[in-house]
Amino acid sequence: MSKLFVKHLSKSWGDTEVLHDISFNCKQGSLLVLLGPSGCGKSTTLRLIAGLEDPSQGSIMMDEKEITHLVPGKRGIAMVFQNYALFPHLSVVENILFGLKARKIKKDEQQKRLKYAASVLGLSDLLDRRPSQLSGGQRQRVALGRAIVYQSSICLMDEPLSNLDAKLRQEMRQEIRSLQQRLGITMIYVTHDQTEAMTMADQIILMKDGEIEQIGTPEELYKTPATAYSGNFIGTPPMNILRPDQKILSAFESRKMDQELLSKIEKQCLIGVRPEHIQLDETGIPATINTIEYLGSETLIACQIENQPILFTTPNKLNMAPGGAIKIGWGVKNLHVFDAKSGKRDDSVYHQLLN
Amino acid sequence: MIKHQARYWNQVNGWLMIIPAVCMIGLFTHYPIFATFFRSFFATPIGTKPAPFVGLENYSFLMEDEVFWKVLKNNLIYSFCTVPASIALALIMAMTVNGKIKGRSWVRLSFFTPTVLPMIAVANIWLFFYTPEYGLFDQIIIFFGGNSHNWLGNPDSVLGSLIVMVIWKESGFFMIFYLAALQQLSPELQEAGKIEGSGRWNYFRRVEFPLLMPTTLFISINAVINSFKLVDHLVIMTKGGPDNASSLLLYYIYENAFNFWDTHYASTITIVLVIILAIISLVKFAYLDKKIHYQ
Amino acid sequence: MKRRTFYFSESLETTAAWLMGAIWLMPVLYAFWSAFHPAEYSTHLVLSAPLTLENFYRAWEQAPFVRYFLNTFLLVTIILIAQYILCTLAAYSFARFEFRGKSIIFSIILLQLMIMPEVLLVENYQTIGKLGLSDTITAIGLPYMASAFGIFLLRQTFKTIPTELVEAARVEGVSSVGILLKVYIPLARPTYIAYGLVSISYHWNNFLWPLVITNSVESRPLTVGLAIFGAPESGVDWSIITAATVMTMTPLLAAFLLFQRQFVQSFMRSGIK
Repeated sequence: MSKLFVKHLSKSWGDTEVLHDISFNCKQGSLLVLLGPSGCGKSTTLRLIAGLEDPSQGSIMMDEKEITHLVPGKRGIAMVFQNYALFPHLSVVENILFGLKARKIKKDEQQKRLKYAASVLGLSDLLDRRPSQLSGGQRQRVALGRAIVYQSSICLMDEPLSNLDAKLRQEMRQEIRSLQQRLGITMIYVTHDQTEAMTMADQIILMKDGEIEQIGTPEELYKTPATAYSGNFIGTPPMNILRPDQKILSAFESRKMDQELLSKIEKQCLIGVRPEHIQLDETGIPATINTIEYLGSETLIACQIENQPILFTTPNKLNMAPGGAIKIGWGVKNLHVFDAKSGKRDDSVYHQLLN
Repeated sequence: MIKHQARYWNQVNGWLMIIPAVCMIGLFTHYPIFATFFRSFFATPIGTKPAPFVGLENYSFLMEDEVFWKVLKNNLIYSFCTVPASIALALIMAMTVNGKIKGRSWVRLSFFTPTVLPMIAVANIWLFFYTPEYGLFDQIIIFFGGNSHNWLGNPDSVLGSLIVMVIWKESGFFMIFYLAALQQLSPELQEAGKIEGSGRWNYFRRVEFPLLMPTTLFISINAVINSFKLVDHLVIMTKGGPDNASSLLLYYIYENAFNFWDTHYASTITIVLVIILAIISLVKFAYLDKKIHYQ
Repeated sequence: MKRRTFYFSESLETTAAWLMGAIWLMPVLYAFWSAFHPAEYSTHLVLSAPLTLENFYRAWEQAPFVRYFLNTFLLVTIILIAQYILCTLAAYSFARFEFRGKSIIFSIILLQLMIMPEVLLVENYQTIGKLGLSDTITAIGLPYMASAFGIFLLRQTFKTIPTELVEAARVEGVSSVGILLKVYIPLARPTYIAYGLVSISYHWNNFLWPLVITNSVESRPLTVGLAIFGAPESGVDWSIITAATVMTMTPLLAAFLLFQRQFVQSFMRSGIK
């Protein structure tokens, strides 16, 4: 059952189009992540859903009702802002109850919801403090509290963790996800951090330049990226996107392949392979080491074949120095083939390769 | 030893640099306060004799001076009317100019223009507006079938007329401070307000106005001081009349000192003004500390 | 598709704002109207009335406005230069030097923010007399040259300049004076400009103290000249008086129109504590 339906949403500022034909739906109780670099339109999309901006075209439906032009307060949404947007002169209690008071909810109902939110978020001891007296993580929770007490259909989150330090970010990530699952909240979450997206999302919408690049579960995005861009965006370290020059094509030589296929790959495709799928291989392609970074759990090696840089990881320590010569290889089934012009995944070539 | 020397020179240099400024401020602010106080215990001399010491006589005369009490009352009414009105207008102006309207910079310019005009020029213009029969206001009223008024010549309307003019002049100035404060409010706050279902008035009452309170206090202090300090318009519009109906404290001081040449009595009245201003500064330093605790 | 916005309908608000702006500007517009039209039209707003410069010539004849203008110009310039020098030194000292009694003296100075020299005009008049400076342009400016407000603003600005910059300069061997000239003053430029505009506005328009302390054409500033000129005893010819008024207002008004943003920002900056 879809909670939110976004249909053909477009937004232009004057002559510049910042969003083009965005369509997706979000199921009840799921966490949907809008992922992408800055300027890709993810925040704009969120703001359109929230009602803080008007779309140039398209519609937004919630629970079968059209909300495209409703005032934000009447859409049944709650929002957590990047900088929390807590009212600095009000205490934690007053901040949390602000919306309920504005909506004239009965006092005892207000108290009931307040108690619940405070206990769930661990805010019971902080109720009388002002935002300036709280840490970043605590402010984050107050903002969440304000969203929860509304008991809205949908909770929107605009890069809520970007102002926190790395450790806190990880804690809050887990907290938000478990809260969302526990309370069954439908959440639309905007972030540029692919780790957040991968660990939290039920569904990811990867955006680029105002358009949707790919929609899928984290697993789908990882295993079958729809474009070279998707492949490169998801995964740390990022996927290597290679031009299939002679050296790389030579890896296929041993597998008796169709000349036609080979030349097609050389002329029209890009090859993607993840660092974790490349190994040292005595029978592989020769490469020269540029840098070696020992991380303890694994070693990150940046090398190059001809003049294409390649990154790969190996679980052991490598006793070599920069400039050294090695041979690397990868399994064909771990390859991703993309059309060189459009960047799109070319499964036909991929299947041919596998045979 | 070098450290000691450095500290010593630090002190010397520090003192040297402030001495010119401190001396001048002392000479024209602090010294005059004491000198005025001292002077108020003497009476104005007759002829070339030195001024005789009269103790508190000037003050007892002050207490019985009907004109003084009238002037004081005028000034209090005047402050009481101009300050809240100009602040409220300033806030409305700032919120208007800050909102999404077309041509906001020229509206802002219109509001702020009175600030860069000398009070004397303003007084001249409004003197015309208030002229009976030919003045702009009377012309409009007569056009609509009313009677002409002697705005400045009638003791019942003169103070009010001046108050309107001063509000016109001052509001734009205060608007600037509200504008600055409004622009410092994070726009996310207003968005959060919208999402929380708050209406415009509710948001203003519960978020904007409280957050603007420090500015409001700051402006209030400024406005009150101005209401005691700015009497330029009286010099050419009413000269305090008719019959002291529009006279203000500083103008009364000026009259006594430079029209009646009774500098000692003028000093006495000055002390009252200084006390009033001192009370205001105490209020400022007690209250203003309270306001610095939001962000 | 129309939708209710957070404010009342945008166009309603715009109209109301424009209306209010027009009302606010009206007195000034009137002054210009009356100054540039013959006397008969000063109370009749007929759009086809002929423009004239006659009023200005007559005003020019009846009072030495050029001299007044020069006096005012000299006055604000002298005051501003003196303020820049005196306030810079004092602010630098308060911001970056340590000496005994510093905070007490600073608090004492701030009294001038509340009790200004014109309030104490009775005594200051006597003081100027004793200094033998009565009826001079210098006398008008003297009480204001050391401005507590200027010291306050500059000290605040100086304090925000990161100590690393100062230390870097010191490492390069720059003296204290050099640091003031090469680090502090350049970085405080916006404050100097802001303060300058506020000071010029204030002293161009100042009236009561100059009225009291000047007597003759040689030292009288524009505002006092205008007051004497427009005194009702001389017979009320509004168009000439408004011409004189326009002459008094225009320099500052023109500067304001040209440098609108700077003016507004200056006043804003001086208000942000």
